[in-house]
Amino acid sequence: MHKCTGCGLCDSICPADAIYMQTAEDADIPYLKYPEECWHCGSCRQDCPDEAIEIEFPPDMLSI
Amino acid sequence: MEIVNISTDVLIVGGGLAGTNAAMGASQKGASVVVADKGNINRSGDIGGGVDHFLAFLNEGQKWDTREGFLNYVEKIGRGTGHLSIIDSVYCAELPDAIERMAKIGTPLTQSDGTFFRTGSMGQPGTFWINFNGKKLKPCLGKAVRKLGCTVLDKVMMVDLINHQGTVVGGVGFHIRNGIFYVIEAKATIIATGNTNRLYENPRINPFNTWLCPFDTGDGQIMALKAGAALTNMEYMRMTLLPKGFAAPGFNALVGMGGRFLNSLGEYYMEKHNSMGNRAPRYEVVFHTLEEIRKGHGPIYIDCRHLTEKDLTHLMATLGYDKDTLPDYFEQRGEDLSAKPVAITVSEGMQAGPTEVTGSGIKIDKESAATVPGLFACGDACDHNRCVHGAITGGYKAGKSAAAYAKTISRGEDITNSMTRAKIERFMEPLQRASGHPYRQIEDSIRKIMAEHVGPRRTEQALTYGLEKLQRIEHYLDEIKANDLHELMRTHETRSILAVGKLMATTALFREESRNKPYHHRLDFPDTDDTNWCGLVVVSKDGEELSCSFEPITYG
Repeated sequence: MHKCTGCGLCDSICPADAIYMQTAEDADIPYLKYPEECWHCGSCRQDCPDEAIEIEFPPDMLSI
Repeated sequence: MEIVNISTDVLIVGGGLAGTNAAMGASQKGASVVVADKGNINRSGDIGGGVDHFLAFLNEGQKWDTREGFLNYVEKIGRGTGHLSIIDSVYCAELPDAIERMAKIGTPLTQSDGTFFRTGSMGQPGTFWINFNGKKLKPCLGKAVRKLGCTVLDKVMMVDLINHQGTVVGGVGFHIRNGIFYVIEAKATIIATGNTNRLYENPRINPFNTWLCPFDTGDGQIMALKAGAALTNMEYMRMTLLPKGFAAPGFNALVGMGGRFLNSLGEYYMEKHNSMGNRAPRYEVVFHTLEEIRKGHGPIYIDCRHLTEKDLTHLMATLGYDKDTLPDYFEQRGEDLSAKPVAITVSEGMQAGPTEVTGSGIKIDKESAATVPGLFACGDACDHNRCVHGAITGGYKAGKSAAAYAKTISRGEDITNSMTRAKIERFMEPLQRASGHPYRQIEDSIRKIMAEHVGPRRTEQALTYGLEKLQRIEHYLDEIKANDLHELMRTHETRSILAVGKLMATTALFREESRNKPYHHRLDFPDTDDTNWCGLVVVSKDGEELSCSFEPITYG
């Protein structure tokens, strides 16, 4: 997250409407408002101009 | 509430692969175009994050590699599920142009050396799959559509069509972030909203963990149905095989490169059950896998250990093109295709057509026109386009046809005044309720009923019972509360999902035979009956009821 510049591209393109911007101290930063609705399409990571996004799968997906 | 009025030649509902190609087709024929999408057209739809396959005949010398060879394949795996004359018009005739167009926008279907990488599976007589790097396909299409000057309404969910004296004259929708309501008057309207994927209980717990895009919820088919359009092939419950835990696509890549299906007894069961083995049609593989699991032969695996290092390298790369995060998933789960078989499972059911070459949804003719004037359809939302190849070719065809139709229409009067403010406010009502049910509770119930009563082993009793239950749920639709615009969008999706469920149960009850088992498998009519049922079940609205009829398909 330290690489994020708050450009808002991930918020703009997320097909799940799962990523929203929130106001932080210096700038707006994105957060995953609806984590359950993420389809793991990877669009946010591919398009992030600052390579600030990593994908981490939740325990249910890695266990069942 | 702010209401914005727009007037255009062609309105396209849905800006995925089919919708963006439709926009290009309509625009290049000189029409003004508005594209509305719940997401952002640069990354929305089934292949928003990327794709790795395109089905094509290329006339490279072999008999199967021709238009005729392809149509023979359609007849073989999709007998009774699509008119060859329509597929010929909306796919075959559009194919050379589509391949050229993809290269022109910056996503060629060729490898870096200019050649096509081709594989065969799913009952194909040769190698119809082209593997390519489509990770940037949607951004390229989004850019091309904007460059053509089309008006793009990102994050606008269309919720209804406007019907004026039996003709579709546009549609209405709202912006999912600012709530602005759009009333769009159009001379021609194209539905390109994809299939229905949050329809069945999901074996991986989370209903959004689906094979195909979980934000495709049948919205367009239901809008079209309400406007008077007929739908076909709605009885088929499509399924596939995918890694346990993650509903990532990859079936065609795994099998195309030589993957073998393995049961827990150590048997390569497809090689025993079907002369084409692991490369049998998808429905056959799913059918036998369900049978293996039922007999207690699970877990089931895909075995790729025998592949050469070169083929494994290609496989891992192409899996990552099809689902960007699948390589991460394998790594985080500790899977290694080269070292051990990977556990797989049968996916959730979905409304997505009976084969890769015949679809399900809005009934179209050779010009991609629906059965209601002013309405066209393409991609997975219609009955004669399927998959990536169907969306790219059929989308462009629908765009051209809609533009030609729009040229014949001239209007002086305001024909959208039937969409009154009171009607518009109805669409926003879930936001106003002081209390109510969350959409998810209603949706979970629909999925449970679909899985229990409208699943891969159907009977008249179960389908009738399921239909009664779905009708009972309908009463709760007007009691859903949405806390914000995001939930309002999901609430409208829930309405579509329920309507698609009812269509599926009704048409499955009507078709008294089995076809492409397990996609339509009636235990009380277990055989395929080509004498009486080789054709389409056509469903439309008759007042408030659904009415089914049968349309035969004949082969020369």
